[in-house]
Amino acid sequence: MHKKLLIVFQCLFSLILTIVLIQGCSPKHYVRGKTDIKGIKKIAVLPFENFTADEAAGEKIRRIVIADLLSRGVETVEPGEVTRVLRDFKIKSLNVLKLSEIKDIGKTLGTDAVMSGAVEYYGMSKGVSVNYPEVTVNLRLIETASGAVLWSVRNTSGGPDFWTRHFGSEGITLSETAGDVVREAIRTLF
Amino acid sequence: MKLLMKLFTLISIFFLIFCLGCAGKGNPDFYLNHDIDFSYIKRVAVLPLDNLTNDKFAADSVRHVVISELLTTGLVDVSCPGDALAALEGLKIKQVQSLNAEQIKSIGKTLNVQAVIIGAVNKYGEVREGNVSAPEVTITLMMADTGSGSIIWSVTRTRGGAGFMVRHFGAKSETLSETVLHVVNEAVRTLYKY
Repeated sequence: MHKKLLIVFQCLFSLILTIVLIQGCSPKHYVRGKTDIKGIKKIAVLPFENFTADEAAGEKIRRIVIADLLSRGVETVEPGEVTRVLRDFKIKSLNVLKLSEIKDIGKTLGTDAVMSGAVEYYGMSKGVSVNYPEVTVNLRLIETASGAVLWSVRNTSGGPDFWTRHFGSEGITLSETAGDVVREAIRTLF
Repeated sequence: MKLLMKLFTLISIFFLIFCLGCAGKGNPDFYLNHDIDFSYIKRVAVLPLDNLTNDKFAADSVRHVVISELLTTGLVDVSCPGDALAALEGLKIKQVQSLNAEQIKSIGKTLNVQAVIIGAVNKYGEVREGNVSAPEVTITLMMADTGSGSIIWSVTRTRGGAGFMVRHFGAKSETLSETVLHVVNEAVRTLYKY
């Protein structure tokens, strides 16, 4: 009897610990109430704004986002097709993209939602004793039909871990960090 | 007994120092117009922030974090960032730092928002403290009511520098992105007071 109780207690403890860990790792995000995320089958990922010194950072992150969405079974529009539509709409700058334009782009591409965002940080940062990769992204999902922001998230990679700081163990690369940051961010949605 | 008394006096002095050190924390370090009913503000526009730093993307970066934080907290809905810029262009407003009440009202009507958020990024980058460098961010945010054009909320928040544990024991320090998020979060949290 005692053994059974102990096993039940251990299982319960593990479950709680897992939930706490998963919740603790999830970046802060916003999901519009009563949103049926499963209803979103096709997304157009717009080019991201780039606030970094790396000119290609926006495009790099965009490709990772597309690859991640596809791996989760969400259909995405070919990036070239999105670029063509942006050109047709005579959109020169992404930071002045109006909501009506976003809705029109989504309708033209036949998508349920449009993803826009910004890359705030992408590069190697200098820590106290080590250099480490730092990536920060900001993503938003806008419903094509209503123009409402369905989801918004900001995720950052954080600094070097304990082993890298104190024992100089090799940390993950910049590309791996970017992949992790995008994956964690999109996990809050799908 | 004397030793006990000395110990008691010492502890009392330390306690007093701690209390005095925290004096002033009770006073609000932000402005909130208590005559305004904030519950009617359902939708805001975050206008481009002034960039008073050497980093050319600092203001844009912080603006996106402010939008993200406002949405995350669920306090208000935020208008599309591009719409805000388009409205400024449409109203031929080039400098956001010198907005007058009439312009604020016009922006409110164009964007259909009850308030606009303006502000500045005063500091954004790494500061060097001895042989350690650490991120430092200072921002000022203000909310203007589009009905009257007056400022109804204002807050300045700063954060940065390496802590004791970082300087001496190599503990994990914050990255610049984390510092930005903390500063914006602290600033936005003052809106909870209403």
